Amino acid sequence: MRVQASVLADYGRLELEELSLDDPGPGEVAVRLRAAGVCHSDYHVYSGDLPLPTPMVLGHEGAGVVAAVGPGVTSVRPGDPVVLSWLPSCGRCRFCLSGRPELCRVPATAAQHGTLPGGRTPFRRGAAGEPVYQFSLTGAFAEVTVVPESGVVRLPPGTDLEAAALLGCSVLTGTGAVWRTAAVQPGESVAVFGAGGIGLNVLQGAHLVSAYPRIAIDVSERRLAAASEFGATHVVRADQASALDRILELTGGEGVDAAFEAIGRPETIAQAFNATRAGGRAVVIGVAPPNAEVALNAFAFPSQEKTLTGCWYGQSSPARDIPALLRLHAEGSLRLRPLMSRRYGLGELGQAFEAMLAGSVNRALIVFDS
Amino acid sequence: MAVFADTDALYRTLGGFFQTLTTAEEGQLIHRVGGPVLFVYHRPEGRLLWSPLPPPGERPAFRVSYGDEAAGEIPLLTFEQDADTAHRFWLGEIDLAQALARQQLRAIGPLSRAMKLLPHLDTVYPRYAAWIAGGAGA
Repeated sequence: MRVQASVLADYGRLELEELSLDDPGPGEVAVRLRAAGVCHSDYHVYSGDLPLPTPMVLGHEGAGVVAAVGPGVTSVRPGDPVVLSWLPSCGRCRFCLSGRPELCRVPATAAQHGTLPGGRTPFRRGAAGEPVYQFSLTGAFAEVTVVPESGVVRLPPGTDLEAAALLGCSVLTGTGAVWRTAAVQPGESVAVFGAGGIGLNVLQGAHLVSAYPRIAIDVSERRLAAASEFGATHVVRADQASALDRILELTGGEGVDAAFEAIGRPETIAQAFNATRAGGRAVVIGVAPPNAEVALNAFAFPSQEKTLTGCWYGQSSPARDIPALLRLHAEGSLRLRPLMSRRYGLGELGQAFEAMLAGSVNRALIVFDS
Repeated sequence: MAVFADTDALYRTLGGFFQTLTTAEEGQLIHRVGGPVLFVYHRPEGRLLWSPLPPPGERPAFRVSYGDEAAGEIPLLTFEQDADTAHRFWLGEIDLAQALARQQLRAIGPLSRAMKLLPHLDTVYPRYAAWIAGGAGA
C-alpha cells in the first residue's frame, strides 16, 4: 500500500512523502488515521532532544479506523474505530503481570529502535525500500499505519475520533499522573509546572477529584488563560514572579501536597520538588533529553520525606483506562473538544510545531481526509 | 575483577580497536557526527579522542589520540563511563537508554549527533568481540 506521511528526514527537517506500507503481519493491525495530536514529544524528536533514528514517521497520539488485520488478531476487525496506544505492552513480563504495563520493556526497546517489537518497521521509501522508522510503535502522522494489536483500543461505534485521538496520550497521561501516580485526594493542593497539553489534563484530573487549590505555572498568558478554563484556581506567570514564593503563599508556607512537572526541564523539575510540602509528592511527567541531570538538595529527602517520582503514560493500562475516560467524556465531566485549538493538514506539521512552541494552541491536531 | 588491569591495557584494547575502525567502512560515520568525540574512562583512568580527518571517503577517517594528547581539542560529544562499562558497550551488552538513566554513562553534547552512529553499531559490536577473541592486538 502507498501512503502519504510526514517524515522526519533528519533532525529539524520534515518532508511530506509517499511511502510504501507493509501489510499487517501476525498480531498486527493497520489503522487508517482520522486525527493525530501534536505533542511536545514529537517536537523533542524533531529537534534532536529526544534522539531517535531517522528517517522516521512521527506522531503517537491518534485515532482512526481499522483498515486490515494480520493473522491471529481477535480483538478488532476492519471498520472498528480505535484509538492508538504508544505502549503496547507484552502482557507477560513482571511489569505487565504486576499491573504496571507502562514499564514493559518490550515497547520501550522497540521505541528506542524506532521499530515494531519484532524489529521491523512497516514503512519504506524509494526504489531500494529504505526503512523509515516509526515513532513509539505508532507513526500516527501517516494516512495509514501498522501497529501491534495491543497498540489499539476499540471504541464504541460513532465515537468522535478527533476528540478520541487525544485520549491516546495527553489526556491519559495528565489525568493518570493525578489519579494514579500522585493519587491526589479531595482537598489536597496541587501545582502544575507547564500548562500545555499534558498540564491542562493534570488540571482537569485534579479538578475532577476536587483538589484545592490548583495552581498553574507557565510563562504564556494564553496558556494560563487556558489553565483557568481547565480548572486552575490560581495562575502564576513564572517570568514575572517567583513560582515558589506564590505557591508557599497560597499554601500557608507549607508547599503543595502534589506538584507536577509537565515541561521536561531540569530547572522546573527542581522547582516542582522544592514547591512540595514535607511528605508531599513531586511527579515528573515532562520528558527531558536523556542526558539531562537535575540538581536537588540532598538533605531534603530524609529530613522532609518528600517523594520525587516519575509518570510514564499516566501509569495507565490503556485498555482499562481509555474506555473509562470516554465514559467521563460522555457524561460531560471530561472536556476533550476544548483541548483542540486548531486543525492542520498532514503537510502542515511544521506550522503545528510553531503554534505549539508559541503557546497559541492547547493541542494542535493533524486531521486526515476520511 | 576489572576488565582492564591498567591504563595501558585500556589503551591497547579500546584504543587499538578504535584504530582498526579508522580504516573500516563504519569509520566513515564519524563524518556524519560532525566533530570530535571524546571518551573519558574511569577505573582505570584514561581518555581517547576521535578527531575526524576530512575529506569524507578518505581513510583513515579519523585520528585516535590518547591521554593528554586528547586534551588539546574541544570535543563535540563527550562520553564518560567506567572502562568496564565501555568494554560491555562495545560488546553490544549495554542498553544505552538504561545506562544513561542510571548514570553508568554520562553524555555531554548533542546526543542527536550520536544517533548517526547508533543504528550502525550492530556491525561494529562483532568486530570488537573478534578483536578481543583475537588477543586485542597483543
